[in-house]
Amino acid sequence: MPPVLEVKDLSAFIGPFHVLQGVSLEVHAGETAVVLGRNGAGKTTTLRTIMGLIPVAGGRIALEGASLAGLPSHRIARLGVGYVPEDRGIFDLLTVEENLQLGMMRRDRAAIGRRDHVLDLFPDLRIAYRRLASTLSGGQRQMLAIARAFLNDSRVVLIDEPSKGLAPIVVDRVRDAILEIKEHRTIVLVEQNFALASAVGDRYFILNQGMTVDHGPMAGLLKDRELLAKHLGMAARP
Amino acid sequence: MSIFLTLFINGLAEAALLFLLAAGLTIILGMMGVLNFAHGTLFLWGGYVHVWLFALTGDFLLSLAGATAAGFLLGLCFERLFIRGFYGRPTAQILITLGLMIVFTELARLLWGPDAIVAVRPAALSGTLTFQGAIISRYRLFLILVGAAFAALLHLLMQKSRIGMVIRAGVQSAEMVQALGINIRSYFSFVFAAGAAMAALGGALYAPMVGGVWSGMGIANQILAFIVVVIGGLGSFGGSAAGSVLLGLGGAAIAWFFPPGVVVGHVLLMAAVLSFRPAGLFGLAVRR
Amino acid sequence: MRPALRALHAARGRMATPDRWLAVLLALGCGWLLVVPMFSGVVLTHLIGRIFILSVFGMSYDILRGYTGVINLGHALFFGGGAYIAGIMMRHSGPTLANLALAAAITLVFSSVLAYLMGYLSFRSGGVVPCAMLTLAMAEVVRHVAEAARTYTGGADGLIFPIPELLRNRVTVYYLAFAFMVLMLLALRRFVDSPAGRVLQAIRENEQRAAFLGYDTMLYKQIALQVAGLSAGLAGVTFGVFGRFANTDLLSIDQTLNALLVTIVGGTGTLYGAIVGTAFIQTIRYYLLELRGLHPIFERWLLFFGAVYVVVVLCFPFGFIGWWKRISARWTARPTTGKGGEG
Repeated sequence: MPPVLEVKDLSAFIGPFHVLQGVSLEVHAGETAVVLGRNGAGKTTTLRTIMGLIPVAGGRIALEGASLAGLPSHRIARLGVGYVPEDRGIFDLLTVEENLQLGMMRRDRAAIGRRDHVLDLFPDLRIAYRRLASTLSGGQRQMLAIARAFLNDSRVVLIDEPSKGLAPIVVDRVRDAILEIKEHRTIVLVEQNFALASAVGDRYFILNQGMTVDHGPMAGLLKDRELLAKHLGMAARP
Repeated sequence: MSIFLTLFINGLAEAALLFLLAAGLTIILGMMGVLNFAHGTLFLWGGYVHVWLFALTGDFLLSLAGATAAGFLLGLCFERLFIRGFYGRPTAQILITLGLMIVFTELARLLWGPDAIVAVRPAALSGTLTFQGAIISRYRLFLILVGAAFAALLHLLMQKSRIGMVIRAGVQSAEMVQALGINIRSYFSFVFAAGAAMAALGGALYAPMVGGVWSGMGIANQILAFIVVVIGGLGSFGGSAAGSVLLGLGGAAIAWFFPPGVVVGHVLLMAAVLSFRPAGLFGLAVRR
Repeated sequence: MRPALRALHAARGRMATPDRWLAVLLALGCGWLLVVPMFSGVVLTHLIGRIFILSVFGMSYDILRGYTGVINLGHALFFGGGAYIAGIMMRHSGPTLANLALAAAITLVFSSVLAYLMGYLSFRSGGVVPCAMLTLAMAEVVRHVAEAARTYTGGADGLIFPIPELLRNRVTVYYLAFAFMVLMLLALRRFVDSPAGRVLQAIRENEQRAAFLGYDTMLYKQIALQVAGLSAGLAGVTFGVFGRFANTDLLSIDQTLNALLVTIVGGTGTLYGAIVGTAFIQTIRYYLLELRGLHPIFERWLLFFGAVYVVVVLCFPFGFIGWWKRISARWTARPTTGKGGEG
């Protein structure tokens, strides 16, 4: 079976800076791939490039075998790539309801069903349904962003550092949310919080200076403390 | 006491026109990041087209509609031909819209001559009425009604329609709207043209109020609209309404007590707002 | 980086073929400029003198647009202000050289204060768009006030004023204008090559990055505005004396756009570009106005100006110098080591 999303030797520039110089990763149906790496390794840029927000300078991005490179980002979204950006991408001037509505590409019965499902999953959102999104807390914003990405029948969902800026107790809720979504979706997750990454990831990809330097099944990484220390600068706690 | 009512009405009428001009400017700026320096030129063209059509047909509403349509078409051409290629490049956009401002101001001068042309009010809207001893111009009352109707309509459109939802979202982040599978560029042409149409309608309504059209009225009103946008906060729709009322009423008051101070007063107001709240009163600063 | 400069310096050492040609042309051009008033008529002398002075105005704009990445739409205030200060001084205090020197001094103070206020208001909100908007608003207000104060400024009809005896000779004025341009070019050159000038270029490339590197970008933008404003003010004084005339058009947005256009036509961020661009635009303007006998449309200089402007922005964004840079780079890339084409 071919991977749902395959990225090979991806290269991209931000202004004059050659930020991605050879990123490769792939994720198979039902899996969650975790992208790890230090700050500035190119993780966010990788997701943004897949999403078409940064032009592809070289390499290949394929969704179920079809190339995404060069397509405008709305086409990429329509082809089935969901996106939860690092800043959550919540529209403050819209209500929670409108934020969800905007994220729904089709308004068929299945989509309405999924919306009701996420509202059951995240009761906070149901309570705040008609309020402006600017009134939500940091954790609720993350829930809304994840819920929004779940509304469509996406082939793959890209999630960028969901734990960023959240209190540990809220991170636990985000982890549960992702675990729930994981049952139904293929996910590429960028995460610095290793506890979260290891809880949800099936495979890992480590980026360093814009290149994929290592990858393998998550279980392998958990055992190899040397590898962790080398690439992530952390001593893995047992 | 009665003089205050007169000034209030006068100020509100000016505010209504400013709002027509500034609302489009601020939405275009907020959503597309384009500051349209040719916005006042569209206002100017609206005025000329209206006066020309009114002289031709004698039908006030028809010539208002004609001027609005002309503004819409011009705006559509501007966006498609000149601005489309420059999204995300603010410097180039400023340069290109400045060029359009010069060319179309000169074209108007070429078509309609360098001198001011008299604009008359239709019979039904001319004259004044007296209320509690205050003399009130019928035409200004009409302007207030039009302005209020437009503000209400736009508010409804922004809050209730899908296009309004996309615009509000796009003002915050056009990129994220795009990433949700919505082709925001397809909205740009329409929004730009609609903003242009409102500017042209503003110009068409302005000419009979001041009694004429001349080629300098575009830039003069554009500056006022800029001040409104700065005061209200770049990209804020409600801010542009509030800014218009503030500037309109303030201007009318200064004009009564010290006529030469109006323009300086506006700028001082803007400077004061900027000094204390650099993001504008309704602080939704455009992060570009 | 700067082919024209390279061409000048290259005369000392080895140089590539197109640059050698350029050096020869430049030398011939300078020689021609030195002798031209001796055998040509008043009209040509006047045109070239005008080009010298407007070039300085253009260069001052290039400091902002080309080196710092700031778009100031109120730049004409410095230029028109200088012309007016000279005019009002000459008219009311008498046309002596001492008064002219005093006018220049007042202009420097005026420009400095204006630059500070302008920078304070328009750099606060950050970003090129609010800055352009605010400077335009300020410029239009000042012009409006100047038009209202007709008794002092003469409004759009303008102010005609006498000038010192010594400067009434066209040829003298020509050489003074030439010297003025050369001096300003050298001074601004020094400025952009100074450490402060380097910081400005870093701001142009990426303001945030420059700020991360620890530079106070507000301060450096203010410095750029000071330098540009003072230069434009002096250019205004010179222009006023040269034409013995000042009107409110000198304060208008069209005047600012003139400077903006010449830097784009010539090539932004080069200083020399402003000279090339001014020569090009002013020459076209002169010959178009000559054609007005044929058809009244040629009187509408602004229409052509605007059209040229739009076409240049759309199709020719690197200007003459940028274009030359490419040709030159392509040429040198062939025989010698790879000096690849830029931009």
